[in-house]
Amino acid sequence: MSEAAGPQGLTGYGAADDQILGAMWNPGRVYWTFVAITALGVLIGASCWAYQIATGLGAANILHPAMWGTYLVNFVFWVGIAHSGTLISAILFLFRASWRTTISRSSEAMTVFAVMIAGMFPLIHLGRVWLVYWIVPYPNQRNLWPNFQSPLVFDVVAVSTYLTVSFLFWYTGLMPDLATIRDRTAGIKNRIYGFFSLGWRGSEKTWKTYGTAYLLFAALATPLVISVHSVVSWDFALGIVPGWHSTIFAPYFVAGAIHSGLAMVLVLLIPMRKIFRFENLITMEVLENVAKTIILTGLIVGYSYAIEHFLAWYSGGKAEEQQYMWRMTGYYSWCFWLMVICNAVVPIALFFKKVRTSIPALFSIGILVLIGMWLERLVIIVGSEAHEFDPYSWGLYKYPSIVEWGILIGSFSLFFFLFLLFAKFLPTISVADVKEKMQVRRDD
Amino acid sequence: MPDLCRRDFLKLFGIAGSGAVLYGCGEPATRYLIPYINPPEDVVPGKAVYYATTCRECPAGCGMLAKNREGRIVKVEGNPSHPVSRGKLCLRGQASLHGLYNPDRFWGPMQRNVYGALDPITWERGEAILAEKLSAAMAKGGGGRIVIVTGLVTGAIKDLTEMWLSEMGQENGHIMYEPWSYESLKKANQVVFGRDAVPQYRFDELDFLISFNAGFLETWISNLEFARQYASFHPISGESKNVFVFVGPRLSMTANNADLWIATRPGTEYAVGLGIIRAILDKKLAPDQPAERRAAIESMVSAWPVERAAATAGCDPKLIESVARLFAGAARPLAIAEGLPQCVPNATETAVAANLLCTLKPASLSAIDFSCESSRTYVARADAIKALADRMRSREIDVLIFQGVNPVFSLPKAWDFAAAIKSVPFVATFSPAIDETSALAHLVLPSHYSFESWGDYSPGKGVTGFLQPVMGPVFNTKHTGDILISTGKKIKGEESFPFRDFYDALQGYWTRISAEAGIKSFDDFWQNSIMQGGYWPEQTAKAPELSLPAPSFNFPESEQETGTGLPLVVYPTVQFYDGRMANHLWVQEFPDPMTQVTWGGWLEIHPETAGKLGLKKGDLLRVKTDYGAIEIPALPIYTVPEGVAAIPVGQGHWNFGRFATGLPANPFELLGPDLDLVSGATLRPGLNLKIEKTGKTFDIANTDGSFFLHGREEDFVPVISLEERNRMAASGEKPYIDYPLPAGYQESKDFYPRHTYSDYRWAMVVDLDRCIGCGACVAACYSENNVALVKRDQMLRGREMSWIRVQRYFNEDAKGARWLVMLCQHCDNAPCEYVCPIFAPHHSEEGLNNQVYNRCFGTRFCSQNDPYKVRRFNWYTFTRPEPLKWQLNPDVTVRQKGVMEKCSFCVHRIIEAKLEATMKGRKVRDGDFTTACAQTCPTEALIFGSLVDPESRVSKLINDVRAYQVLQHLNTKPAVIYLKRVIEELRV
Repeated sequence: MSEAAGPQGLTGYGAADDQILGAMWNPGRVYWTFVAITALGVLIGASCWAYQIATGLGAANILHPAMWGTYLVNFVFWVGIAHSGTLISAILFLFRASWRTTISRSSEAMTVFAVMIAGMFPLIHLGRVWLVYWIVPYPNQRNLWPNFQSPLVFDVVAVSTYLTVSFLFWYTGLMPDLATIRDRTAGIKNRIYGFFSLGWRGSEKTWKTYGTAYLLFAALATPLVISVHSVVSWDFALGIVPGWHSTIFAPYFVAGAIHSGLAMVLVLLIPMRKIFRFENLITMEVLENVAKTIILTGLIVGYSYAIEHFLAWYSGGKAEEQQYMWRMTGYYSWCFWLMVICNAVVPIALFFKKVRTSIPALFSIGILVLIGMWLERLVIIVGSEAHEFDPYSWGLYKYPSIVEWGILIGSFSLFFFLFLLFAKFLPTISVADVKEKMQVRRDD
Repeated sequence: MPDLCRRDFLKLFGIAGSGAVLYGCGEPATRYLIPYINPPEDVVPGKAVYYATTCRECPAGCGMLAKNREGRIVKVEGNPSHPVSRGKLCLRGQASLHGLYNPDRFWGPMQRNVYGALDPITWERGEAILAEKLSAAMAKGGGGRIVIVTGLVTGAIKDLTEMWLSEMGQENGHIMYEPWSYESLKKANQVVFGRDAVPQYRFDELDFLISFNAGFLETWISNLEFARQYASFHPISGESKNVFVFVGPRLSMTANNADLWIATRPGTEYAVGLGIIRAILDKKLAPDQPAERRAAIESMVSAWPVERAAATAGCDPKLIESVARLFAGAARPLAIAEGLPQCVPNATETAVAANLLCTLKPASLSAIDFSCESSRTYVARADAIKALADRMRSREIDVLIFQGVNPVFSLPKAWDFAAAIKSVPFVATFSPAIDETSALAHLVLPSHYSFESWGDYSPGKGVTGFLQPVMGPVFNTKHTGDILISTGKKIKGEESFPFRDFYDALQGYWTRISAEAGIKSFDDFWQNSIMQGGYWPEQTAKAPELSLPAPSFNFPESEQETGTGLPLVVYPTVQFYDGRMANHLWVQEFPDPMTQVTWGGWLEIHPETAGKLGLKKGDLLRVKTDYGAIEIPALPIYTVPEGVAAIPVGQGHWNFGRFATGLPANPFELLGPDLDLVSGATLRPGLNLKIEKTGKTFDIANTDGSFFLHGREEDFVPVISLEERNRMAASGEKPYIDYPLPAGYQESKDFYPRHTYSDYRWAMVVDLDRCIGCGACVAACYSENNVALVKRDQMLRGREMSWIRVQRYFNEDAKGARWLVMLCQHCDNAPCEYVCPIFAPHHSEEGLNNQVYNRCFGTRFCSQNDPYKVRRFNWYTFTRPEPLKWQLNPDVTVRQKGVMEKCSFCVHRIIEAKLEATMKGRKVRDGDFTTACAQTCPTEALIFGSLVDPESRVSKLINDVRAYQVLQHLNTKPAVIYLKRVIEELRV
């Protein structure tokens, strides 16, 4: 990766601070409007959940046999979104890809928020959420432990580990910047930022320790990208449902997760660089590199679709074979074809430089891939459940109920709400990294 | 409040035996709690007491045992010593408790006020009003001013009713009305056998049976008894299997059990019968006929060569010929016909043809026993009801009393019986619950439900079942007999009715009967009869020979004018009978055996025909005949041949309580007003439906996900031919079964270690050759296990809670269907167990796949990973209105929202049996107990037991050559092992 992908047009460290941190002081009316809208969305989601807890899961349109509906679709979707954050931040850090500098912070934040939201969905999905602590292996006098054979227990371990590590990774990276803010603020703000910067002094030793810790977390987070989504895929692959029970699921899900994560990065960064005037920091080359990676993940995902269908046919299992035939022709076939187009066909357009460098095209493709990836989870989860072994017990999850829509809206609102708060209170671009990558005149 | 009522009841329970009137919750309760210091006799808290009584849901009169727990009856089972039920009950019998606890029963006596609403009154007042009206009617003079219309009753109550009427100076005032009154069958019996009666049939003696549209496994005469007999007639026994042929216009539940279904155009079944007779006579296959009879029969069928018969009926002539050969070749064949005039045209003709066919084989005439004739013989014919309606219209009747009948619903609407009732000055009803007829009454004096009553009922000669109050009255009701006696006393004085109450009258009646039968000690007789549930002296004499009069009958020369439109088939269902079951919540919830539809009626139409007419499932149609019109949703399904429409009887109520009201639709509203002068029945012309779409939809709440198995027959319901089965059995081949036992462990394919069982390994065998698809098991399970009732809305969203289902799959050619009884398979290698994060599904030391409700927090992964789809999730905390709650089994937890549940193999029964065995110092033996579903199965298709015991029935049956496991390739090692249905190739 060339140095040219890095921040452009900054004259000095002070200028970097001014530009990046300046975005935090006066966000303007548009910002507050968005905060209000998303807060309302969060409220809607919360009330829907409260209603569902009070009445029962019948409030969602799930049924026998499609017992898992949009809640788990959202869970997998958000875990997927979470992935690119770590990927961009940690993996590209390890590969020393300098174009990551300006987007790493926001994608890390995205990771943390997305994992938080993802983690809420299994709870929303529970019949008796007030007993959820039973899944935690805590010592108790009845000697009741969770069932470590269950993929859901793997999930708890994997997702909570991922949340912890990605939070620590994000926080570690934030520390020098928090100190910078501390130094530029006064009063209560100074105290708060001071507390969270953990007494950062910027000494040689601090920087050295920081560098080691950051590298360590990057190294720790990298395998988690692979493991978390592999574990999530096992929720399905370890089940015997035709359409789930497949060894390809782990790599297929990881690729899909990164695919959707990168799309989310595009969808978040493009407006952000516009609103905060970060065009010089998040350059077109950065976006182009993201687009190129989307081509790769799109191709992997497309290959997985093909392989899945081939294996179903090759296996000769009646239920398996018909499951995939039904996927292409049955009730959810429109979801399936839309998914194929969005995830595997549309990204091919990014082979063309013209598309790759067009902001509207990138943004639209990002949105399409997100839709496609959400549909992919729907097709896999709901489509497979609806058409299992026993034709007598086939049944259709036709559409989400108002409560499910509310919770879906709530989850997206919460994500953007948290992201907006993040943009206001924390530097969305790593100031320290930008400074590190800056071409600074000696006399400055 | 209910709790206090229960205790009040218990205080009084001790004197129930002496025949005191039981006071129930209608009386104000003393509002303080009392401990069991003086426990009532018979009641040990936590221990059930069983009382013998008789099922009165239909006129079959099966013996029942009612399970009473702490003063409430929670379950009914068949009475093992009763000759009709022999320990079994059908779906309707199992569901009878929802009649008792129906929240829409009358709470107490009521009088209609000037605004047309009903005001509560006291019994004293109610009886005084009735007595006053009766006296006024009597004062007018004349012998027919007071009429009581009841269902079929016999014995003491019939005696009392008639005595009461004669004391009032009335003649022929007691009308016993049943919608299914078999006029056509009786007429045909008179023509061929010289007996105007409904006989008793004995299918267990036969080796060939042909049914002309008689749904004898559903509602026909005595369906449970016939199902039991059928179980010893049809399933494979040894190396052979008897043949059953069904001729009719619809693939009914009964038809689907047949080895051959000859689909006919509605009303042409007689042609098939005549064609068979003609073929037998032409081929001289019935040699031992007296010449003149033979000549008489020949002249009757001379116009019916096989080709013409087949052309009329719309079937293959080869079928008729081969059935004729089979019939003639059988040693003891029998032909039966439905004989219900409302269902298809020409019911009498068909019944005569069937009877004539029987006479060709004199050897099997003993299977038709008129000496034990059914009490249905005495039911009023339609012409008698019509005469009554005419008398009502011409104001010859002053007081009309209904008890337990609903003619406004079940008579053809063209009769306008409601208007006839409205022209009677005073109408009283003794019916226990609101219905369309009771809704027209001026005075409501609600009688007890059968479970609250003393009584006797004789379904046929030689068998009488007794009824005793098995719990206190749920509402402020009175026994019909007591109402009659007390009003009678008011009018005619004490001395005219020398009984304290109906119990006294009942005893008096039986004192007389027992003395006539030469029984010395009445007290012993009474004690024994009440305890065993009835009186059925040993029958020693064989059925007397039938004397056959020279037959003479005119069959319609040519088929009737068909006209345009779809010919209509009306049919009774195993659930609704004539519609009287529709206010039972359970019955609405159970899927129909063939269509798998719940909560509402439908119009069956072949998918091809529906396609031509542009009808889709759920389209609300306006269906018209010359006599009436109804709105009913379309259901394209393969149970009818192309170009035929069928509508079940039972739904379409407009005032029958909260569960039945407003669901489409009542086919009786399509029937004509005329009478058939030959049989005295309702005339049933070939009704051709004119169908129009209303543009509205009424969603069909069906529980099946697909009609077909989509090539998965071998995984789910494989069948085996008789030859193959016999070849395998002869060569000593073993079925390939993955035993749910340590012996079933195979290192090559098992990931988890084997389970070991020391005492028991509970398992079930389902013999699909015996299963008739009736759904009694489903009803028993709902009742036993407090399975939640979700109602129509949730049913439409696929959220029914049944633990056991009788799944219907059509064969690939859609000419027949198979059933699969699906319940939790209690796998040895259960896919649901390992995916639960918190061990809520738990594999017990006895092989049970226990679901620990308290531990479940509802991830639903178990259900998702369950290939049999038998786990059910509580989407809400499903509740049921008072007093339906009283039925809940206290031994089984009621589940709350968010919890998964499923079949437990009746684990509470297992525990109870183990406790009892422990008290006796031994282990549970095979046959000590069984699950609720297996207990009631009329054909004993379900067998439960332990596989650890090598001598148990299940241990032996799982090595039958017919044994298989559903979805065996998944290596779940189910402990529910199925036996394949044996298919006999009929050479056509």
